[in-house]
Amino acid sequence: MDFDFSDEQEQLRDAVRRWVDKGFGFERRHALAKAGGQTREVLGELNELGLAGLVVPEAHGGMGFGAVEAMVVMEELGRGLVNAPYAQAALVAPTLLSGAPAAVQEAWLPKIAGGEALVVLAHQERRSRYALSRVATRAVESGGGWKLSGTKVVVPAGDEADAFVVPARIAGAEADAAGIGLFLVERGAAGMSVRSYPTQDGARAADVVLADTPATLLQREGHALLEQAADVAIAAGCAEAVGLMDKLLAITAEYMQQRKQFGVPLATFQALRHRAADVKMQVELGRSMSYYASLKLGEPADERRRALSQAKVQLGNSMRFVGQQCIQMHGGIGVTDEYVASHYFKRLTVLETSFGDTLHHLGEVSARMTDEAGVFA
Amino acid sequence: MDLNFTPEELAFRDTVRDWVEANLPKDISHKVRNSMRLSREDQQAWQKILGKKGWLTYNWPTQFGGPGWNAVQKHLFEEACARAAAPRILPFGPVMVAPVIMAFGNAEQHKRFLPGIASGEVWWSQGYSEPGSGSDLASLKTRAERRGDKYIVNGQKTWTTLGQYGEWIFCLVRTSTDGKPQTGISFLLVDMKSPGITVRPIITMDGEHEVNEVFFDNVEVPAENLIGEENKGWTYAKYLLAHERTNIADVNRAKRELERVKRIARAEGLWDDLRFRDQIALLEVDIVALEMMVLRVLSAEKSGKQSLDVAGLLKIRGSEIQQRYSELMMLAGGPCTWPYLAEAMEGGWQGDLAIDAALLPLAGFYFNQRKTTIYGGSNEVQRNIVAQTVLG
Repeated sequence: MDFDFSDEQEQLRDAVRRWVDKGFGFERRHALAKAGGQTREVLGELNELGLAGLVVPEAHGGMGFGAVEAMVVMEELGRGLVNAPYAQAALVAPTLLSGAPAAVQEAWLPKIAGGEALVVLAHQERRSRYALSRVATRAVESGGGWKLSGTKVVVPAGDEADAFVVPARIAGAEADAAGIGLFLVERGAAGMSVRSYPTQDGARAADVVLADTPATLLQREGHALLEQAADVAIAAGCAEAVGLMDKLLAITAEYMQQRKQFGVPLATFQALRHRAADVKMQVELGRSMSYYASLKLGEPADERRRALSQAKVQLGNSMRFVGQQCIQMHGGIGVTDEYVASHYFKRLTVLETSFGDTLHHLGEVSARMTDEAGVFA
Repeated sequence: MDLNFTPEELAFRDTVRDWVEANLPKDISHKVRNSMRLSREDQQAWQKILGKKGWLTYNWPTQFGGPGWNAVQKHLFEEACARAAAPRILPFGPVMVAPVIMAFGNAEQHKRFLPGIASGEVWWSQGYSEPGSGSDLASLKTRAERRGDKYIVNGQKTWTTLGQYGEWIFCLVRTSTDGKPQTGISFLLVDMKSPGITVRPIITMDGEHEVNEVFFDNVEVPAENLIGEENKGWTYAKYLLAHERTNIADVNRAKRELERVKRIARAEGLWDDLRFRDQIALLEVDIVALEMMVLRVLSAEKSGKQSLDVAGLLKIRGSEIQQRYSELMMLAGGPCTWPYLAEAMEGGWQGDLAIDAALLPLAGFYFNQRKTTIYGGSNEVQRNIVAQTVLG
């Protein structure tokens, strides 16, 4: 049992933090968001730090790092409010491709690791909410290949991606876990249309409509791998949230020390001091469960799913409380667009509803409870 | 970073688990598991079993006869005890006063007091709080006046846990009124058989006699019972608080109590009531998060690489969770927790009610747990301390 970071992990953290401090200030972020949220150039800069291939196996040109390194990077990207879909591109996509035939992996993983290809998961449908098994998009085999038809919504970086990993139903009813295939669809494939839009958190997404669109089969029964990829995304979101909350609390504390009302700094009022203590509590509980999430990613599916849902419940509650209270403690300035705090709040809000909100995951924990409980149960 | 204990730590865990399970009397663990009344004999039986094994002093260094365990080993031992539903080790002797005697007492005091604490033979009580000094402890007024080779003590202590059994009491007393309140306090060990000491029960809202008032009326205390220097008692008291570490969160017990919540919910047909079960699920998440925070502290202590100043957070969260599981048990029992029968708090009581004996202590347990967010520095005082780390 050891929660220290290695020297190598600390260096990784420093590298990302230095890039944020030098290259990704709030003004740049604000301008990127105002311009529509396209962030391919930001991903390019992260790639120059070598981050695109962070978890891609060395055999495919990556660094072959694990969940803890991913967590370290995500914490720092959160701290810097970096609005690029790094987790999607560098953590989730390689997980999904790990189940693909060797030739497909060889074709795509080196390009992902080199930052040349942006591949994102397009799994959400209008009626799916958070159920990964609810897939209405159909896959039909024809002439030795596959064609997909259906609509995926709020696909991150939908108009910048080079390819999408698309869950589509090969067999079974709409909510069956069995019969869901994972497919790769390249940008510009026949019958594909993309309607893109900016999102509330300063990024960009798209609805992707497929009509008899040709696709490459990655895995025929893909639900288990999809769950694993979702868990990777949840752990990444938890870590990002820790960075966001840490920084937002620091910004808030600084403001409370400077801002005076009734002749004294806000930081002297006990009502606000106790609130700050409650916020600190949620940050530390969140950090604890973010560690837990990343460290449980390698466990067998049942244990992993339960742990990640437990983590998302804690982080979901933490994100909402910390975000709301830090805005409140600022007072009026907190609700403005020009000041940084509201942008942290909005990103936290979007993260809470990513890959299952708090109530969804509470239901998962509730359904998966056994007699014993605890970190090692 | 690694979530798992080392093979050596796991082997240690198995050893202490096996020993505790083999040596803890079943009638005692039954009472603990069901929040029933523990007699003086129950309490002392277990402390003496531990004392004989040398584990009552599980937090002592080897030079004073302790096992010299590290932070993780101590945690694993606490976990083994909590898991088996052992009575908690009464902290007053081995955990609170002993480290102060070791650090600030003289060789004569070591020889005189430590063996009785280590064996579990001598029952110690804590004399800190006073009627006018709760969270604001430094305002305490119990006076100790030096006359020759004696102190004459006058005043009153309160909330003295299990003081009705106490043989010795360690007290914070005022020896000076000069300067700041903190600078005039001394740390005195008092024989509770001394003339002039009166112990009066305080009955708490669960109807139980757990705490007491202790009155001092011209009590003569030999000057050799002073620990360290006169007027330095506040420093020693703070040292004592620093020794309470992670166990204030009591997360190991929380894991056992969560199992009881689930057992009761099942028995009461609430397991399939999703509204109720989701509340249990939320408590489960809270407990896992608290355990992770405790493990982070243990890891930091073990490696010495990070400083993790979260004692206040652990106290707040741990006590909230203690209240929450007792609350959920009471709610699960519902009206079946209404009957108030003092005898139902005795182990082995079956009675002639249509209601399971396991439900009858639950309301009292819930009432009793209201103390947790008040004692040991109220949670509001803890928030002040936490806020200091955030806002300066």
